Amino acid sequence: MVSELRTRGRAQRRAARLMAAVFLAPTVVGVVVFTVVPIVGSVLLSLFHWNVIDSPRWAGTANYRQVFTDSTVLVSFTNTLLFMVLAVGLQLGLALALALALDGRLPQWLRAAFRSAFFFPLVLSAASISVVMKYLFNQDFGVVNWALGHVGVSPVPWLTHERWAMVAVVLVYVWQQFGFSLLLFVGGLNNIPREMHEAAAVDGSTGWRKHLHITLPLLSPTLLVASVVGVINALQVFEQPYVLTDGGPGDATRTVVMVIYQSAFEQLRFGEASAVGVLLFALILAVTALQFRLSRRLVHYQ
Amino acid sequence: MSTFGRRDRSGPSRRALLRYGASGAAAAGLVASWERLTGADIPGRDDDALTVATLGSSVDPAAQRALRDGFQELHPEIQVRLIAVQATDWPDFFAKILTQIAAGTAPDVVYVATEGVQLFAENLGVALDDRVRRDADELREYFADVHPSLVESMMYEGSLYQLPVEFNAADMYLNTSVLRSAGLATPPPHWERDDFTALLTELRAAGGSGFTPYYWTNRLWGGVVPWLFVNDTNILAESRAPGGAWLWDAFYPGEAAAGRGGGYRWTTPQATSDRVVEVYEYLTELIQRGLCSRPEGGSGNNLVGVFSTGRVGVTPAGGFWAGGLHEAGMDRDGYDVTFFPRWRGQRHQFGGAGYALLRTSNKPDEAWEFIKYSVRGEVMEALFQGNQTTPARRSMLNAERYRTTGPAGWRTFYDTLDAFPDTGPIPAPPQVTEVELALTKHTGTALGSPGAVRPALRAMQNDLEAAMERAW
Repeated sequence: MVSELRTRGRAQRRAARLMAAVFLAPTVVGVVVFTVVPIVGSVLLSLFHWNVIDSPRWAGTANYRQVFTDSTVLVSFTNTLLFMVLAVGLQLGLALALALALDGRLPQWLRAAFRSAFFFPLVLSAASISVVMKYLFNQDFGVVNWALGHVGVSPVPWLTHERWAMVAVVLVYVWQQFGFSLLLFVGGLNNIPREMHEAAAVDGSTGWRKHLHITLPLLSPTLLVASVVGVINALQVFEQPYVLTDGGPGDATRTVVMVIYQSAFEQLRFGEASAVGVLLFALILAVTALQFRLSRRLVHYQ
Repeated sequence: MSTFGRRDRSGPSRRALLRYGASGAAAAGLVASWERLTGADIPGRDDDALTVATLGSSVDPAAQRALRDGFQELHPEIQVRLIAVQATDWPDFFAKILTQIAAGTAPDVVYVATEGVQLFAENLGVALDDRVRRDADELREYFADVHPSLVESMMYEGSLYQLPVEFNAADMYLNTSVLRSAGLATPPPHWERDDFTALLTELRAAGGSGFTPYYWTNRLWGGVVPWLFVNDTNILAESRAPGGAWLWDAFYPGEAAAGRGGGYRWTTPQATSDRVVEVYEYLTELIQRGLCSRPEGGSGNNLVGVFSTGRVGVTPAGGFWAGGLHEAGMDRDGYDVTFFPRWRGQRHQFGGAGYALLRTSNKPDEAWEFIKYSVRGEVMEALFQGNQTTPARRSMLNAERYRTTGPAGWRTFYDTLDAFPDTGPIPAPPQVTEVELALTKHTGTALGSPGAVRPALRAMQNDLEAAMERAW
């Protein structure tokens, strides 16, 4: 009897393991084929000179030495970090402010309408949005300057001035992306028990003090997720600067992924492009790790 | 505990798994039998067809079909797969073709613009010399109809790599409606740079807010380069490669090919030379005086709209704009075209395009048949009906062609080659992508203020030197 039960138990565990393997297989295969292999491939490719047409030639660390001395690459990393700070800061701030506003006394249908409206740009192609925005931000004929002109503002060289170009790229990016953070925040706010706010109100905490001491701490896990996703996306920005400014004027809006694209597909320097890609991967890893480290002190899981 | 309960904890039974597996296999079979795109539809993976990559937006789909069907009628034994690559401009098209090559799915024949002639010739192209010599009689009529400048721009180190199909010289488009409103006459063909400045000044005075006298785009074609050409300079020192006599002697005897060689060479960077500085300072001055815009990067797609609605007075463009403006609803009398104004000279810039045979092709003979077919008169007539470009054949530029679209001065397009024999292609050495990047990048910075010109050109010089020193 005991041995029969043991046999049955082993068979059940085998079947369970088999089922687990079957269900995990698609994800594991996907991650290996589309993530692990390309990462390993990029690291290997960064050690070769390769122009697609000729066979790859061993380069050792030459590609890394090249990119570390290339001023365009260095500027692109600075631009990307600046972009990340501006874009993620604005994106999270705007999304949080609107989420709090939507969490207020608006009717349910109006909240749903606003949520959909704010999320809508995210489902559109970034390239298409950028093409349209390029018209809107044109210094001479754009609607933005036309509108600003009505309140006495002189035409702003949105896309042709070193400083304004980055502002325009950030604005276009944030306009498209903040809907995702907004949705996360709305979900996070819904999970905060009403009693907490009621208790705070009884204790005399209202308005911003309530948000500062109750809402934000309880929303911190959501803030962490939104900031991690936001930072990773921002560090990989490509379409907006590529279409709006082509990285210019000068290198003012040239980002790391633009440099990767241009090195690989315009100049056929796949080794150098891979080296930059590996460095970007390391940067994203480091920033994300830092975020999680900081989260130990700043994030409250109730 | 029931049997059902045990099964529930340990997952589906073996029988259920088999059932799911059979259902999955049936579904997979159904999907597999569905008519759909497969790997063989990826360009270059269908070994039976000759794959030809063209710029999708340069000619309309009906014309593309006519090109393919007409060729198949002539050569039923050759299957053709025509890929219209959608791209905003030539550099964009070029990057996509290189991506295809990187993916191991190189086409047999590629439509290559001047920007890529030497890059393809150096690394991927097949010289057509032997084939041209062999089929000389068949091609004599074609060469007689095509300006030697266009042919020379398709040569590299003495060999011919493409037969020009189309070209566009950077001429000056004038918004004659705007000029008339300002009480100004259309300038004569041989006008001077100072006439140009005066015209812009008067347009500025007459135009209201939201009007830009001169609008342009920061790119290799039609950006700052035409100004460099009329000031008798260039960002790279230009010379001619030896050779090419085999072609000139055979097809352009006498004076027609005097002084021509085996194609252009662009070598030493000279971005800091006085004449280049002079051009940038002139353009900066125009910007500072509000006579022209700071140029945006990109393809200039929005230009048709603002020109056709009277918000721009003058802009550089080629024959491709006649069709574009007509489609935008511009009346044929609403605009005209003339030469670039004379500075030290009146040399113009042009870019051309034609089909190139790739070294990776395993159907070179079939590809050559297609290349010859593409330059036949009736084929080009069928292809270029909407005036979206300037045909390379002189005979195709006639009053009837421009009767609907305009401009009245349509002769300017080909006269740019005839009237100025030194008119030449945009500087496009094998390192063209880096050269273009250096040019557009530092042009954007240089035109910020008068003090920015020299530092930006020094930076451009450094980048150009690095680009020309690095092996491709």
